[in-house]
Amino acid sequence: MNKNENKRYERLSAKSKGQLIIESENVLQEMQQKFENTIPGMEYFYDVAKQYAGGQLKNPERKKYIATNCIQVPIELIYAANALPIRICSGAYSMSQAGAGLLPAKSCSLVNATLGTIYTNSFPLAQKPLTIITPTTCDQKKKLSEIPSGIDIPFYTLEMPPSKDSEEAQEYWYRSVKKLKGELERITGNRITRSKLKKAIIKVAQAQRAFRHFHQLRKEEAVIRGTDAILIANTFFYDNIDTWTSHLVSLNAELEMRKSRDHNGSESRYPRILLTGSPSIFPNLKLPIMIEKMGGSIVADEFCSSNRLLYDTVAVDEWNMYDMVPALSDRYLKACTCPCFTPNNDRERKILAYIKDFKVDGVVYQSFSGCQLYELESLRISAVLEKENVPMLYVETDYSPDDKGQLATRTEAFIESIKNNL
Amino acid sequence: MDYFTGIDIGSTAIKIAIIDEDRKLVAWKVAPTGSKFNENARDAYNALIQEHNIRLPEVQHIVSTGYGRRLYKSADDTVSEITANAIGASTVSHEHSIRTIINIGGQDSKIIKINAQGFVQNFIMNDKCAAGTGRFLEMASRNLEVDIDQMGEQHKRSLNRSLTVNSTCAVFAETEIISLLADGNKKEDIIAGIHTSIARRIARLAGRTTIQDDVLFDGGTAHNSGLIEALEEEFMRDFIVPELPQITTAVGAAYMAMDLFLKKNLHQTVS
Repeated sequence: MNKNENKRYERLSAKSKGQLIIESENVLQEMQQKFENTIPGMEYFYDVAKQYAGGQLKNPERKKYIATNCIQVPIELIYAANALPIRICSGAYSMSQAGAGLLPAKSCSLVNATLGTIYTNSFPLAQKPLTIITPTTCDQKKKLSEIPSGIDIPFYTLEMPPSKDSEEAQEYWYRSVKKLKGELERITGNRITRSKLKKAIIKVAQAQRAFRHFHQLRKEEAVIRGTDAILIANTFFYDNIDTWTSHLVSLNAELEMRKSRDHNGSESRYPRILLTGSPSIFPNLKLPIMIEKMGGSIVADEFCSSNRLLYDTVAVDEWNMYDMVPALSDRYLKACTCPCFTPNNDRERKILAYIKDFKVDGVVYQSFSGCQLYELESLRISAVLEKENVPMLYVETDYSPDDKGQLATRTEAFIESIKNNL
Repeated sequence: MDYFTGIDIGSTAIKIAIIDEDRKLVAWKVAPTGSKFNENARDAYNALIQEHNIRLPEVQHIVSTGYGRRLYKSADDTVSEITANAIGASTVSHEHSIRTIINIGGQDSKIIKINAQGFVQNFIMNDKCAAGTGRFLEMASRNLEVDIDQMGEQHKRSLNRSLTVNSTCAVFAETEIISLLADGNKKEDIIAGIHTSIARRIARLAGRTTIQDDVLFDGGTAHNSGLIEALEEEFMRDFIVPELPQITTAVGAAYMAMDLFLKKNLHQTVS
C-alpha cells in the first residue's frame, strides 16, 4: 500500500469500528429498554456483547487466539492447544458495508461482514488472531481466503465433506480434524496432549450442559425473551468459556425461580414462534427483535449458532487420543444440520421435533439475500410444514435497516394471523 | 347513528372508509399520501365526514392500517394491512368465497390466502424491490407520457402484439422502455409488455404457494384493465375485481373498528 492508500485504509477502518460500536450499543439499548421485565442475570451477556463490538474482549492470561469462521470448527482442539477460539462470523451492518466493496454484489451480508471485520482489523480482541479457520461449509466463506484484499493473517481451510451419512464422508472428516490438530500444534507451538484434550472436552461439555438446561427451561413457558436467548448463544464464543458457563448456570437458577413465581396460568397467550434459517448474530438481531416487538414469543431457534451448543456431548469410551479425536469429529459432523449437506433430512426432523416439544404456533424462516443454501432449503421446509399445518413466514433480508417497515408489516400480519387462528 | 372508520395509509394514497352500524359503506375517499402522513390523513378525514354530515363524536372507533398506520395519531387501534385486506376482501363480495387475494399496491405486492372466516392463513410479499408494484407502472407511465388511467385502454389496443420487457429491476426496465421507444415500437405494445412483466413477477411470487379459487384482485392497480388481463393470462384463471378495489383494505379496517368497539363494550357491560 502506498501512503495515500494507507491513509484511506486507516480512515475506513476507524470509521467502521466507530459505526460498529454505535450500532451495537443501539441494539443493546433496544433490547434492554424497549422490553420490560429484563432479567438481572442477562447483564453479563449484554456486557460481553458490548466488549466484543468494542474490540475489548478480555484475555487476562494473554493467550494466543484463533479466529473461527463457522461453528463447525472443533474448539476443543483449540483449547487443548492452550489457545482461545473466538468466532468472527459477524452480524454487523457496518462491517458488511466495509466488506461489500471487496466481494461480488450478490454476496450475503454475513460473509460481507466477516470479511469486513478481517479487512478493517476490527477483531474483538486488541491483537490479531494467529490464524483464521474456515470450514468449507458455505461456498462464499470458503472463497474468502482467495479474495485479493491484502489481508496478512493466514487462513486455514478446514475441509468438510458435502454429505455426512456415508462412511467415506465420515472418514474424510475424521482425517480433516486430525490434520487440524497437527496444524494447531504447529502454529501455537503447543502440543495437544491426551490430558489437555480431555480437559478441553470436559470444559466444553460443561458449557453444553448448562445450555441444555437453559433450553429445557424454555420448553414449558417463555421464561426469557428469545432475543436474549440468541444473544446468550452468540456470546458463547466470546468470553472465557468457564466464566460464560458459570454465568449461564446462575441465570438458569434465576429462571427456575421466575418459573415457579410468575406462573399463574392466566397470562395472555403469545404466539409461540420458532426461528430458523440464516443465523441472527449480534448485533444483527433485527428480525428477532421485530418478532418480539410485534407480540410473538420466540420459544426456540434452530440457528447453527445456538444448536451447536445442543449437540450431543463428545462420547468417549477410553480417554486416549485414538478414541477422543474420532469421537470429537463424529459429534461435529453427525449433529450438524447445515444446509450445505445433501441430504439434510436431519434438519427437517429437528424442526419438527422443536415444533412438538416447544408447542410452536408458527415458524419464521430467515434467509439472508445471497445465501443460496438456506434459500434452497426453504422450499422443502415450507412444503413439510404445510403438510403438518404449521404456518411459516419466509423472510428474505440482510443486515441493512432499510426494510424494517416491510418487515414490521410482515411479522405483524403473521402474528395477527396466528392469533386469529389460535 | 354510530359510525366506524378504517384509514389505510399506503405509500401512494390514503384510503378512508366509513361504515355505519348496519355495516353499510356510507362514505369513502382516496387522497394522495404526500410527505405528511398524519396531517394529510387528518385533513382528508375531516373533509370526508363534513361532506357526509357525520359528526366526529358519532364515529365510535377508528382503526388505521397500511404503511403509515402508526403515524396516524387519532387511531384507536392499528392493524397490519394484510389482516385488514383479508377481512375487507371477504366482506366486499358476498356472492363469492374468496380464498386468495392478490394485492398490488404502490410499493408492495402480496398474495394472501384466507379461510372462510376471512382470517389470513398464509401470505407472501415481494422483497424490497419495486418491479412488481404500482411504482413500476407509475414510472412507465411517466416515461411513455401516457396517463396512468389510460394504460388499460392502451393495452387493449395492442391486440396481442405485446413486447417483452425482461428487466427484473425497475430502474433497468426504465432504460429498456426507453430503448424500445427509440426502436420505434408502439406505446400500446410496450404497455402490454409492461403489464405482462408485472403479471409474470406476481405469478413467480405465487409459485411459493398453491393458489385456491376464488381469487380476488385489489389495490390501486386493479383499476387497470390491462393488468387484470395480463394477470388472468399468467395465472390462467379468472379474477374477481371488486367495484372499489383501492379501498378494500380500508373497508376491512372499518369492519375491524366495529368489531373491536363491540368487543370492548361487551367487555365493559360484563365487568
